[in-house]
Amino acid sequence: MTVATTWKQKLAGQVREDWAREIDIFETQIELRKKGKVEEKLFAETRLRRGTYGQRYDNGQRHDGEKTQTLPYPSAELTKGPVTMWDAPGMQRIKIPYGKLTADQLDTLSELAEEYSDQILHITTRQDIQLHFIHIEDTPDLMRRLAAAGITTREACGNTVRNVTACPYAGVCSTESFDVIPYADALTFFLLGHPDTQDFGRKFKVAFSGCKDEPCGLTNFHDAGAIARTRTVNGELKRGFEYYVGGGLGAVPYPATLFDEFLPEEELFPITQAVCRVFARLGERENRARARLKFVVKKLGIEEFKRLVLEERAKLRPDERWTSFLNDLHVTDEKPLKPGSELVPGNYPPGFEAWRKTNVQPQSQKGYSTAKVTLPLGDFTPGQGRLMADLARRFTGDSMRATVEQNMLFRWVSNADLPAFYQALEQAGLGAAGADHITDVTSCPGTDTCKLGISSSRGLATELHKQLTLISDQLDPAAQGLHIKCSGCSNSCGQHHVADMGFLGVSRNMNGRRVPHFQLVIGGQYKNNAGSYGLAIGAIPSKHVPKAVKTLTDRFVAEKLDGETFQAFVARIGKKEIRKLVDQLSVIPSYEQDPSFYSDWGDPREYTIGDLGVGECAGEVVPLVQVGLAGSERELFEAQLLLDEGNSDSAAARAFSAMVLAAQALTREKNSFLGEGVDEIVSEFRAHYYDTKLFFDPFSGGKFAHYFFRAYEHRAESASKEGAHQLIEEAQLFVEAAHQCYTRIAGALP
Amino acid sequence: MLSERLQLKLYLEPSEHFEVEALIPVFHRFIRDQLIKELLIDVVDYSHVPDGPGVVLIGHGADFYVGTLDGAYGLVYSRKRGGPGPDARLADALRRLINAARLLEQENGLKLRFKSAELSLRLTDRLHAPNDDATFAVTKAEVEALFARVYGGDVAVERLPASKEPLSLRIKASNSPSLEALLEKLGGPPDSAS
Repeated sequence: MTVATTWKQKLAGQVREDWAREIDIFETQIELRKKGKVEEKLFAETRLRRGTYGQRYDNGQRHDGEKTQTLPYPSAELTKGPVTMWDAPGMQRIKIPYGKLTADQLDTLSELAEEYSDQILHITTRQDIQLHFIHIEDTPDLMRRLAAAGITTREACGNTVRNVTACPYAGVCSTESFDVIPYADALTFFLLGHPDTQDFGRKFKVAFSGCKDEPCGLTNFHDAGAIARTRTVNGELKRGFEYYVGGGLGAVPYPATLFDEFLPEEELFPITQAVCRVFARLGERENRARARLKFVVKKLGIEEFKRLVLEERAKLRPDERWTSFLNDLHVTDEKPLKPGSELVPGNYPPGFEAWRKTNVQPQSQKGYSTAKVTLPLGDFTPGQGRLMADLARRFTGDSMRATVEQNMLFRWVSNADLPAFYQALEQAGLGAAGADHITDVTSCPGTDTCKLGISSSRGLATELHKQLTLISDQLDPAAQGLHIKCSGCSNSCGQHHVADMGFLGVSRNMNGRRVPHFQLVIGGQYKNNAGSYGLAIGAIPSKHVPKAVKTLTDRFVAEKLDGETFQAFVARIGKKEIRKLVDQLSVIPSYEQDPSFYSDWGDPREYTIGDLGVGECAGEVVPLVQVGLAGSERELFEAQLLLDEGNSDSAAARAFSAMVLAAQALTREKNSFLGEGVDEIVSEFRAHYYDTKLFFDPFSGGKFAHYFFRAYEHRAESASKEGAHQLIEEAQLFVEAAHQCYTRIAGALP
Repeated sequence: MLSERLQLKLYLEPSEHFEVEALIPVFHRFIRDQLIKELLIDVVDYSHVPDGPGVVLIGHGADFYVGTLDGAYGLVYSRKRGGPGPDARLADALRRLINAARLLEQENGLKLRFKSAELSLRLTDRLHAPNDDATFAVTKAEVEALFARVYGGDVAVERLPASKEPLSLRIKASNSPSLEALLEKLGGPPDSAS
């Protein structure tokens, strides 16, 4: 017998033929790129479509707290994309459709983390698994091993249909209309590699929910969101979906718009296909920042968008896959390993009752419960992965779901088994209570590994988790139920808009140094599939954020009315009250008094970088710019208050005014005679900062300046509530970009 | 050594006061001042993960962890790619591990002491070094030969039973030389990246 010396040989015959071929092609692309026979941009798109991302410092530069050092990678001349070094470690995103993992798949993922990564598997906020610090040349084998376990990374990134997500309770939930999993499963593979999904200008995300009121599906911020519905037609119960389009978080979040209140089940696939075709045809290509479907829907209006989709639908050639899966909707059903049972009263293991209270929910099927494993920041080790796989085999018969809260959900645990299940978790260090509660803080990767991160969202989340866990036993139940979500930048991967308290990483110049901050985002709604989005109240120095959380939580507990949610509480006391807290916490000691404020959570390097000049020019001009930028933030806050009062036109006007003030403050750096006229400010800003690209940042280019120019063009138009909300978001981003630009021109940033 | 990828761990003496987060600034300094002859890239904090890798110093060819992945605190040298040929891999890994441990012991703020005679080895390459009797036999012989040379005295090599894990060995030497003495036997601090 020949001994396999490669994974390709070893797994021959165990991988779907088409998937094996795709991976072979990718491996060939790698070899061609190494020989310089594939252009770097093309290679970047190729690898991204296979979920193979870049990571922080992959440009070969890293600031060590004192200076920027070059990382001397061996293949220094070779890149895997623009400004992306070949040997720099990267991230592999692995699509897990609707978060479902079998025990064998989790074993495989654990092996891969052990052999190619840094011993950690990470669950994302969209039910994917990510492995970090992967070398590009390890990815083909990694993909083969996944493919042998029935997992493809195809279209995990790039301008494609991303992971199709769904409520992790689907099929076992008492509030669902019906189990959406057979639909999510079939749609995943219908859209994967479909010719109509290969030519987008940007990504496309789909989510399913079994009901409207709960948060589990989060359909409101997806490009296409389907909520299960039933309707009686001629005495027959019909299945369908309340179908939404054009939602999205990102820098400026848009709520999804209702496309059809009851899309019959047989129309779900063709309509989604038609939506994809319209998106491919009309979606923006040049300006990446305006390329998501939400902008198409917004630009056309839902009626015109719907007309175009229906027109496209009429042209589609019938495809048997649209409905063939309906012949057996039980194909995704799970068979519990054990019969249902009752939990027997007795001497439970220590900690069991607290865990059961927060992590266990009864299923709709009598005698069974779901049990959630709390995974801090969504991280777990290969050993813990294998343990969870074994628990699935031992207790449930193979069912697990990665959740958007970055935990692992087990379904079909027979109630009598709950103590033994908990005990096994506890022995592996996984028995923590508090899943989806205040201590279970959600976070994107932030500055730990993401190229776009501004502040350390994971560092903050870790600190909040530590501090809140210490007091969780004493917290009022209302406070325990709060959700905290952190993003390292404005791209919202941590979903900070839909938390009770959301935090989004920004930076500020203070006392002549750069200081990590987080914008406090308040007013978001998690329930109702992420029913509404919060707005930023103001920036808090990172090291003061735990104090802000504690103060807000205490005040909520002390002053809330009976049954009042945090969102309602904030609306009642008003954002001015919250803003007072932000203002109190905005002051920090000088660097000499306490340098810890000038570094980020979990990272002792000084956040302030470079040597700030103290010459006359800087000494005079810097404060003027800061005064102007502070003024623009005040305007923004006023805009929010006006919006809360229902005065959309005034709110929009204030938001635009905030942009003008920020532009003016910056532009006076270049033209000290700049006047107060809006036309002049816009014109001069364009000349000095946009045309010169001085306002551009390395990742977003001029997108924030475009927000300003567009607001200027439309400033005379009346604004809807939604329009004013979006303009405030855009103004917020513009002001943030102005802060960054100022920092760059002041010499404090590389 | 059959596997290019391997993880060699040196265990820490128990300490009441040790907090793994204290390694974060130390590892950042290792990068800044290039204290170890590896291409070092970043520091990652996994201290929130129970029985996890702890604090990780990420490198191009190898990583260093101080964590409790197998339940006990220790320093892991994890070779990922590159390095010397099969015959020199284990000795090279031991040299780099001992060197890093010595540097950590010299950090006054940490107050770390390693148990020089207690190690574990994992071959994290299931293709070239499957967890089977044949791989164990080859690896055990290599470990015994190296430890006889470097440590002197006897060495006990025990295979850990978990079948889904990579091949994992517990190594216990009868002698406990100082880290300096071990490093000297191994040729002194490495002078180039792996």
